[in-house]
Amino acid sequence: MDTILQILASGLTLGAMYAISTAGLALVFGAMNMLNMSHGAILALGGYLSYFAVGGMGLPAPVGVVFAVLVCAAVGVLIYQIVARPMLRSANFETRIFIATIGVGVILESIILETFGPQPKPQPVSMPGSLTLAGVHLPYQNLMILGIAMLLMAALGFALQKTRIGRAIRATAQNRDAAQLMGVRIGYVYALVLAISGGLAAVSGITISSLSSLLPNMGADPMLKAFIICVVAGLGSLPGSVMAALFIGVLEAIVQYVFGVRFSFALLLILVIIVLIGRPQGVFGRVQGVRL
Amino acid sequence: MSAELSIRNLTAGYGAQVVLRDLSLEITEGTLAALIGPNGHGKTTLLRAISGLVPITAGQITLAGTRIDPLRPDAIVASGIVHVPQGDLLFPDMTVLENLRMGSYLPAAARLEKQRLEEVFSLLPKLRERQQQTASTLSGGERRMVGIGRGLMTSGRILMLDEPSLGLAPIIIDQIYDVIDTLRGSGRTVILVEENAMRAADIADEVHLLDHGSIAWRGKGSEMSGRPELLETYLGS
Repeated sequence: MDTILQILASGLTLGAMYAISTAGLALVFGAMNMLNMSHGAILALGGYLSYFAVGGMGLPAPVGVVFAVLVCAAVGVLIYQIVARPMLRSANFETRIFIATIGVGVILESIILETFGPQPKPQPVSMPGSLTLAGVHLPYQNLMILGIAMLLMAALGFALQKTRIGRAIRATAQNRDAAQLMGVRIGYVYALVLAISGGLAAVSGITISSLSSLLPNMGADPMLKAFIICVVAGLGSLPGSVMAALFIGVLEAIVQYVFGVRFSFALLLILVIIVLIGRPQGVFGRVQGVRL
Repeated sequence: MSAELSIRNLTAGYGAQVVLRDLSLEITEGTLAALIGPNGHGKTTLLRAISGLVPITAGQITLAGTRIDPLRPDAIVASGIVHVPQGDLLFPDMTVLENLRMGSYLPAAARLEKQRLEEVFSLLPKLRERQQQTASTLSGGERRMVGIGRGLMTSGRILMLDEPSLGLAPIIIDQIYDVIDTLRGSGRTVILVEENAMRAADIADEVHLLDHGSIAWRGKGSEMSGRPELLETYLGS
């Protein structure tokens, strides 16, 4: 019983981290049909920026996190202005932006490598100590990650449903032309969505590196997992992505315990194959269009 | 009576494909103008060009003396031109109410949201019943009404309706036309695009016939019925 709870606890932490990075990816895809392949690199950048601000400059941890989030959000806006915007009206936007953002990712990763070097670095933003509840070992760090993820997802969900700009984002995702005809400035929506996604990537990078360590290519694995979760949930479906992230986190923890760590990724890919055969549009996806 | 919307020597299209050629058109304030013509001759493209969704290569569009063609689509909406597009283009995963509220997205319209919502509900009572229903589950006629209602939620002075009767059952078309008829007295200028020429000519103050990307004839609806050769030449009916 204790073991099951322990697996569940670490699985949920894993899922919560996946949810943060997946939400950003799903939001951008949902709103503008853009698969941002530089998401993983932005995530790593966020981790390193917090390392730089807290470890290097000696700033307090919350300030370091806010700094990382703001810079990554700005990177998102820059990607819109410099890369996405010039090709928005082009015929094969989806393909072009996919390839272009692979390039952006390589550039960001090279900058990180050049600045911080290839050796692993520790993430200074973390919470030491743990709590033992009913025989289950719960590090404060894991509880905080779970809490932050839930808070961020709830805030994002609330903003999308209830605020004016949130409705504009959903409208743009559901019908770009119609949103423009209602007076929505879609360039603003796109820049905003990429900024939110960048900020979420930073939080994701900080939490992931706080449980392992910082490496320039640390974003590749979460990015791939986020993509898998998006495919399983249905690309662009935000609530579906969060649920799928938590489910896959728990599943991964179970597989790691029962079969060993080396099987967890293979099993994820098997899951993708099964979902794509049975429901090509994703578990929560629709055959046509996207939803937020 | 002044020309509220004035289009001069407009050329527009999709990339290399020119759809509108040297088109000039004037719409008088407060009137109901019908834009008719065969399919594929540029009626929808003209509305999309006015809205800024289709790039213009030559000519200019002025609203009450101010040029609007260089503006972004959202700024054109803010200037007072509202386009109720063909095929409804609703927000499928939003409720009827959320769709209507998107019509009052801009600040000028948001201030009058409650009042306009009541007006829309009294004009289209079906929408009041269906307000919590998701748009994608509505019938074709209901979707059309949401599209028109959403347009009426805006602060637009000019309402452009693109084929409001397309694909609907005759009884629903009658209802839609009743609604359009009541708009005449509302102070808004209405531009009605229709393939069903007689139906549109019947209700309109003025008819503009669009053929091969430019205006081939303009006149009163009553003159139209006395000139069967127009219909024969341009509409093949």
